[in-house]
Amino acid sequence: MKLQFVYLYRNLARNPRRTLLTCAAVALPITVFVLSMAVVDGFNQFLDNSTRQLRLAVTHKTSIVNPLPEGHRRKIEALDPTGRRLLAVCGLRYIGGQREDDPTPLSTLAVDADTFAACFPEQRLTAEELELWNRDRQAIIIGRGTAGDMGWKVGDRVTIMPSVPPYQPLEFHVVSTAEKAEDFVTNWCRRDYLEEVLKEAGALEGMVTFFFVKCAGKADLDHYRAEIDRQFTGSLDETKCQDEKTFMNEFITQQFDLPTNLSILAGMTVFVAIMAAANTMSMNFRDRANEVATLKSLGFGGGFAFGLIQSESLLLCAIGGAVGALAPYVAFTFTPLRDFTIPLIQTLIIMPGTCLKAMLIAMAIGVLAAVWPSWQAFRMKVVVALRQFE
Amino acid sequence: MVLPFSYHWRNLFVRKTTTLMTLLVVAAVVGVFQWLLGFADAITDSFAVATDPRKLIVLKPGATAESNSAIAIDEFNALYQVADLARDPATDRPLISPEMIVQVSLPRLRDGGKTFANVAVRGVTDEAFLVHRNISLHGDGFSRAEREVIVGQAAARQFGGLEVGDVIHLGYAGDRVYRVVGTFSAGGGPMESEIWGYLPSLMNAYNRTTYSSAGVLIAPEADAKSVIAQIAGPAVELSAMTEGDYWEAQTRLMAVYLGISYVLVVIMSLAAVFSIANTMFSVVAGRLGEIAMLRTIGFSRRHILSGLIYESVVLCTVGGALGSAACTAWLIGVGNTKDMFGANTFTTMAFEIRMSGLIVGGSLGLVVLVGVLGAIVPALRAARMHVVMALRTP
Repeated sequence: MKLQFVYLYRNLARNPRRTLLTCAAVALPITVFVLSMAVVDGFNQFLDNSTRQLRLAVTHKTSIVNPLPEGHRRKIEALDPTGRRLLAVCGLRYIGGQREDDPTPLSTLAVDADTFAACFPEQRLTAEELELWNRDRQAIIIGRGTAGDMGWKVGDRVTIMPSVPPYQPLEFHVVSTAEKAEDFVTNWCRRDYLEEVLKEAGALEGMVTFFFVKCAGKADLDHYRAEIDRQFTGSLDETKCQDEKTFMNEFITQQFDLPTNLSILAGMTVFVAIMAAANTMSMNFRDRANEVATLKSLGFGGGFAFGLIQSESLLLCAIGGAVGALAPYVAFTFTPLRDFTIPLIQTLIIMPGTCLKAMLIAMAIGVLAAVWPSWQAFRMKVVVALRQFE
Repeated sequence: MVLPFSYHWRNLFVRKTTTLMTLLVVAAVVGVFQWLLGFADAITDSFAVATDPRKLIVLKPGATAESNSAIAIDEFNALYQVADLARDPATDRPLISPEMIVQVSLPRLRDGGKTFANVAVRGVTDEAFLVHRNISLHGDGFSRAEREVIVGQAAARQFGGLEVGDVIHLGYAGDRVYRVVGTFSAGGGPMESEIWGYLPSLMNAYNRTTYSSAGVLIAPEADAKSVIAQIAGPAVELSAMTEGDYWEAQTRLMAVYLGISYVLVVIMSLAAVFSIANTMFSVVAGRLGEIAMLRTIGFSRRHILSGLIYESVVLCTVGGALGSAACTAWLIGVGNTKDMFGANTFTTMAFEIRMSGLIVGGSLGLVVLVGVLGAIVPALRAARMHVVMALRTP
């Protein structure tokens, strides 16, 4: 005997209040799950992007805050004179900064102009932007998110107050707002210009915060990770070389360890949804036990009863899961919420894959929640059940 | 005459499965909420301790934190001309503490040293112990002649190699060996996550010629704003702020993450409300005859309404207690030590999550609210139903 979808639908419509409340009780945890996993996925994507770039991060062995001499670059480059395995070495100096009249912190890095484009190809500078960058020592590439927040555009002259000594205002010319870059917060300026300013101010020059080294392949990454440290062992400025993913992950885990805590929260929300759905299926079965008994007495077997309860639960949770997964997707894709920023991963992007995963989990919740009442329905003795409900 | 408590308590056991499921939903929400509250409370308490209204933190203008500030010695000396500063009773000199902040990477004890944290190392002089009034030394202080340090008690509990007698490698090249000779407490404030040593020794070890910051204690009757204005003025030209303002700026990032977590927990709480409403509607539907009987024997609508809400609140309170116990067990089993990295300071602050009476009370308050919200509609429905129609229901 065929199980008809319309029978399932009518069963759920029989108590619309209970159905709606259960859908809501499943949808809300699924929404929390989608949002939590979107943040976690954002961090993972950020780290995966770091892995894809095949870059090493070279910092001072004692502490990242200790600068490295810029002369280390030549020694690193000398490890591969052909330039076929170590494609580019770029020195970076953190200057942070803020606008004169705005305390909002900026993320600005001064970089070696000649190797920046090769080391950071994901900036996707056009030929024209690259030419302007190379020609103008006061050039700055503004992250498009920062440009939007600050109202800056290509061609503007901007002044940034650095967060590091000598704290003198730096004037820049915006040559790009990095429209195609993956990172749309960080600003990039030229280190040679910064060095001039430092020299004039009598401040410490010739130093970088760290180096990024672009490698040709994974094998080169693994090889030079040890080689670079070996090169500087025993010197006053020993290095600690890590792949970019490990380097960035250290920052992430120190920030409230958000990925781990959100993953735990996501797990708890699934648990809440299972309990809410199981509660409803248990109540549904109790209310309709005589109906199931009647069906069994008419010839529908235990398997049918099992499938009936399971299907109802699956449909209920699928509806709740669909609502719970689609609501954040629509909110963060098509409404002003799409501009909401989270430190480090920047905007919250709800991927269709995350929504699909959430819906599959909602359906799994439907299956799990109905296991016990389905089993009870399967094992139900018709006569006993009919007698009980006379 | 009110319905007795035993009536409502026993009703919870009539439908054991439903009661259990609802309890677990509430317990999960309360457990998570309580953990978050504990975390936020630990940070807030820590910074509340750090807000001495008479203490100012002086930085180089433009610097956002001590770790990226550099004050030249002659700039520091200009602070001595500022009026309205507290004075050292022994020397009558203004209480100004020159300080240098650096970082050292140390393993975290809670994960067996798998990850490392940037722990702040502060170079100080005797004035620091007078300016930072919440610092209490336990054991020996550091010597001026030897390479010795004292460690904050929170740092000693959470990071490796900081027990008294241990040695740590400091200095620009990490080649200067310092011995831990004592500990200090700072009332649970951020400085309790630091390592302190003698300023000239540490400046030498790190090749520094400038201070990172100055701690200034103003006179009891002085106005902080006026002193801040003097420090910013043409005579000194440095930037000062109260300690509370300084630490508030450092925790802005954490506020974003906590805000996100709170929003998620509120959404989860709504799920709990719907789940409880579902349960209570089912309870009402299953007890129509009983409720009608109660009405006929004299219990008013108000008794029915309040009784059902009361039942829901009892259910949620038991669930809340379960969640609270689970959260406490989690903290004991997994550990209650956490640390937070300051994006501006580049140092890690250690703290411990503890369940205070206020946190447990707040969680139970949430639970009561959830119970009331979840039960109000079904309870109103039950209170308003027609008695005769309900008695006729099989």
